[in-house]
Order: sequence, then structure tokens, then C-alpha cells
Amino acid sequence: MSATVGLPQGMLYHRYGLLWRTFFQELGIETVRSGQTTKEIMDRGAALCVDEACLSAKIFLGHVDALVGRCTYILVPRVSSFGHKRMMCTRFEAMPDIVRNVFRDRGQQFLHYDLDVNQHHDEPDAFLALGTALGCTKKAAKKAYAAAKKEERRRYKERVAAEEALYKKEGMKILIAAHSYVIEDPYLGRPVLDILKGLGAIPIRADLTDREAAVKRSAELSPTIKWEMNREILGGLAAHWDQVDGIVLLSAFPCGPDSMVNEIILHQIRDVPILNLTLDAQSGTAGVETRLESFVDIIHFKEGTL
Amino acid sequence: MTPGPIATGKKKIAFPRVADYSGVFRYWVEQCLDQTYILQPKCTHHTLEVGARYSPDSVCTPFKTALGSMIEALDLGADTLVMSHGLCRLGYYGELMEQILRDLGYQFEFVNFAAYSTGRSKDLLKGVKQLAPKMKAARFLTHVMDGVKMCAYIDDITSKYYQNCGFDPSGTYRAAFKRFLRAMDMVHSRPEIDEAYREASYAFAQAPLDKPERPLRVGVVGEFFTVMDAFSNLDLEQTLADMGVEVHRWMNVSNRIFHYPGEKNLNVEIRDLCTYEMGPTSTATIWAARKYARRGFDGLIHVKSAGCTPEIDVMPVLQTIGREEKIPILYLTYDVQTGEAGLMTRLEAFYDMLAMRKEVL
Repeated sequence: MSATVGLPQGMLYHRYGLLWRTFFQELGIETVRSGQTTKEIMDRGAALCVDEACLSAKIFLGHVDALVGRCTYILVPRVSSFGHKRMMCTRFEAMPDIVRNVFRDRGQQFLHYDLDVNQHHDEPDAFLALGTALGCTKKAAKKAYAAAKKEERRRYKERVAAEEALYKKEGMKILIAAHSYVIEDPYLGRPVLDILKGLGAIPIRADLTDREAAVKRSAELSPTIKWEMNREILGGLAAHWDQVDGIVLLSAFPCGPDSMVNEIILHQIRDVPILNLTLDAQSGTAGVETRLESFVDIIHFKEGTL
Repeated sequence: MTPGPIATGKKKIAFPRVADYSGVFRYWVEQCLDQTYILQPKCTHHTLEVGARYSPDSVCTPFKTALGSMIEALDLGADTLVMSHGLCRLGYYGELMEQILRDLGYQFEFVNFAAYSTGRSKDLLKGVKQLAPKMKAARFLTHVMDGVKMCAYIDDITSKYYQNCGFDPSGTYRAAFKRFLRAMDMVHSRPEIDEAYREASYAFAQAPLDKPERPLRVGVVGEFFTVMDAFSNLDLEQTLADMGVEVHRWMNVSNRIFHYPGEKNLNVEIRDLCTYEMGPTSTATIWAARKYARRGFDGLIHVKSAGCTPEIDVMPVLQTIGREEKIPILYLTYDVQTGEAGLMTRLEAFYDMLAMRKEVL
């Protein structure tokens, strides 16, 4: 078994990267990563992608392009639902087929798994199918998944604990509501965190929170919300919005779910200053910097510490 | 003092205008639920303008149209608004709409089927019960089926109309179609529904057509709402037909909802293009596009509203179809600002290209 699997470092990688890497490592399959997002990756993705798609999808296609020809398979899973009213944006549903059609003439093989709990494909099943598709035994695949899931849980718990500890710190705390693939991308959200830190604020991520509890809690702010990742963020907001000095709603342009959920947040949370910040493909962070600076100034002004 | 409206004790229910189906909603509310239906006038630019003013910027255009339509209904005296559930952003329309309207100060009862959707269709009946607590099951069921039949008739007549009205010098088609749609907005019983359908079918059959042996045929595919709603797509089908094109559209309420062949049955024919279900109407769009291409159509038009995620994702697949089947595809995105002149220019150019291509081939 000398097959190598390519992992594009966009979109779901930020949610499942550790799970994937550990899973393949346990199975003894080598993985190749596309590397951090760069301007080149983004431009390449934008050229391949339909104009109107979201920035994150463009970046993702750029990452896939960077892997073409460098590995036997590229992993592009379909993640559709985790249960009723626990859907993903339809783009995650469509991604394997988008990629298949965009890279149709490039002779690259792709690897899929289908996570759609509403259609009775849960995660253990999906990884079992993924493992056997790569020629492993069922037993080995199950064992690798169990080990990978355990590692993912352990690491995630650590990260949540570290994030929760930030609320106890002294200083101006700013809660950031963003999808993991926006906030963790070095080209999109990472600069926002850095700028806020540079301004002396403590940025805290709303999505890094106990997921199950957050999904339940999201109903406090929005009873019929249907997107899993937005429910996690809303749950985080519901639990913590009164412990922070400001909230930044950070989205990649144009995000379907965020376009509506952010509006609900703006209608529901009235007592904390909120900045609705949309990131587009413009290079340079000067514009974002100005807006964050003035936002921090407003908070200082409101609290009488300017 | 002017006398107020007569108090009937009935709810005044409204739903956003959707293509030519508003008569069906009215029929359901009045016949199944025994309540009053507030039928808004047809959408105008004003509807969209009002809706867009209070909507978030980057939400998809049907939300803006629907919100504008709801505001018009409230201004007409509706006291109960209904919103459906749905598989894409549509499933969240209700909650955001209610929030926006309440913050604007409107008073109304809101029945949001997204709140009743639990995955079991039985639970949706609870929403219906809220609209009409004293509803009788037998009456409800027969009249629901009448409405389903209305949809089938509307879809049948509409599809015949756009396939032929471009070749009808006497104008019989247009007159009969108009009469039929007006009748659908006013019918009260099954015999009336059947009569209107018979009349329209008869008129169509009698009309002398001046149709070439091989007319230009264009298949229209795309997003569920915008592709059906003539207001939202700036009367795309009529415009094409007037140029002398036979216009085909598979997507309608009967085909997609009441008589849907099923995700798997459609997917099996397009397996080489897409493995999975890509979105609520994606499989149908891809399947129809390829079917038209293989049946020798001259061109395809893909219609969607700005920001429609599932239909944006279908575009790479359509591009594959265009390349492999050698069929020209025009991609249209409808936004709040989309003007008729710009659309006309694009359609004319597309038509000229198709006509020249047909001559050469």
C-alpha cells in the first residue's frame, strides 16, 4: 500500500484535519497537505471557481489545485447533516461533485466519504467505508477511526479549556463569531486575531465551545436555525455574550447561512457593541485594520476608558 | 363614519406570492381551512424595493421578494402570515422574516412551518391545526387533493403555453392562458377547476399555429423559485417565446414536489456527472439540462437568484454538460437591480447565436 492521500487545507480541514491525519496515520497511509493559504492559492482558486461562490470555496479549490498530481488521491468528503435541523451549508454537500467537475480533465483521483445522518450515514460508517475503499480491513478501519476520534476529542477538549480560560483574563474581551475555516485561515481570519491582539484586546472564539451543549443552547437566540456550524457559534454566543465587551461577526463574502444568521444576532443581542465584518478577496488588511481600530475605540469610549 | 369590514371571526391568512400558484394557496385556505385568504396583487418593482429595504444585503433575492409580498399582505389587512419550511436557506426565511416584521412594528400571528418540521410529516399537521383549530379531516383531505390537481393543471397549461405561444399569430393562446390563470385565482370547487382546464385545453387545441418544422428549442433550468416566477425572472419565458422560440421547463411544483421521480431515480441517469445529491433542486437541474441536451435542444438557460448557493454549485456540472454535449448555455443571475434592457440584450445575442448555429449545423 503505497497510496498517498492529499488533504486540502481549506474549509473542513479546519474542523476535521486532526481526525483525518490520525486516521490515515493509524492505517499507515501517507498524507500530503497543501500547505497554508497563500495569495497564489487564492488566485488560482478564484480562477477555477464560479465567480459567485464564496471566498472560502475559492480558497478550497486553490488548495485542491495545489495537490493535483502530488498524491494518489485527494480527500474531498461530503458532509451534509448531523441530524434533523443540524445541516451543513449545501456547499459542503456539493463539494465532491464540484471538485470532480472542475478537475475533470486533470486525471486526478479523488476520495470521498458521505456523512449524512438524515440519510443514515453516520461518521463511523463513513470512515469504515473510507478505510475499506483504500484496501484496509474493516477491523483496521474501525480501530483507526476509534483511535482518531479519541485523539480528536482529547485535543478539542484542551482547546476549549484554553479558550474558556480567556474569559477570566483581565482586559477588553472581544468575542469572534466565525466559522472555523474563516477564523483559522491565515489569509482570512488570522490577521483579524492578530490586529485585535495588537490593539490590546483579547479575541475569543465563539465556535470553540462544547459542541453538543452549544447546539442545544442555540435555540435561545434562534429557535428554528438549521445549520450545525452556525448553531455551535450561536450556542457559544448565547453562553458568553454577557461576559465580553464586544462581538465581531466575521464572515467570508458571500456566506449564505451567515447572511441571515448575522441579521438575527443583530436583532437579538442589543446590549453589546457588534461589528459585522465581511472579508472579501481584496489583498491587504488596511481596510479591516481601520474598522477594527474604530470598533475598539468605540468600546473604549462606551466604557469611559478612551 | 365608514363601516368597517364585516367581522367574520375568520383568520385573514397570507403567504408570499409564488409564480401562478397563489390561487392554489387561496383555495386551500378557503376550502380546506375555512378561513379568509388575502391575495396580494401581483408583485411589482415596489414589492421588491420594499422587501430589499428591510432585508440583509447578501440574502438571496427570493427572500427580499417574499418579505415585500408579506408587507403588502399586511397592508391589505392580513392578520396571519404563513411561511414554509425548506431545504436550503428557505428553511430559515420564516424566522428572519418574523423578526424583521415584528421589529418594524407589525402585529400579526405567524405560523412558521419550519418550527413544526421535525422530519416527520405528521408534525406539520400541528401547524395546520394552528391555522384552523376546528378543521375537519375529511374536508381537509379532499380539498388538499383538489389543490394538488390545480397545480397539475397550471403546470400542464403553462408548459403547453410557453412551448407554443411564440407561433400563434391569432393570439388565441395568450387570451386563453390569461383567462385560465384568472379562473385559477377564483375557483371554488372541483367542477370549476376542471371546467377552466378543459376550456383552456380546448382553446389551445383549436388555435391555428404557424410553427416551422424544426423551431429553435430552448430548455430553461434553474432555481425553484426564480425559474417559475415570471416577475422574478423578468418574464424570461414570454420574452423568449416572443422571439419565436419553443420554451421548455421541467421545473415546476408538480414535477418537483407532488410527482417527483425521486432523488435516486434521477441521479441514476447522471451518475457520470455527479455522485451525490448536491442540493435541494440540483439533481433535477442537472438531469433536466442533460435530457434537453441529448434530445437535441438548441440551447439552455440557467436561471438563479443572486446568491443561490445550490444553483451556483451546479454550474461547474452544467459547464461539463455544455462542453461534452456541445450545447450553448446562458447563465442568468437575477438581483434586485437586474434591469430589463440588459437582459434583453443578452437574450437577443443568445437567440442570434442559436439561430446562426442552427443554420450552419
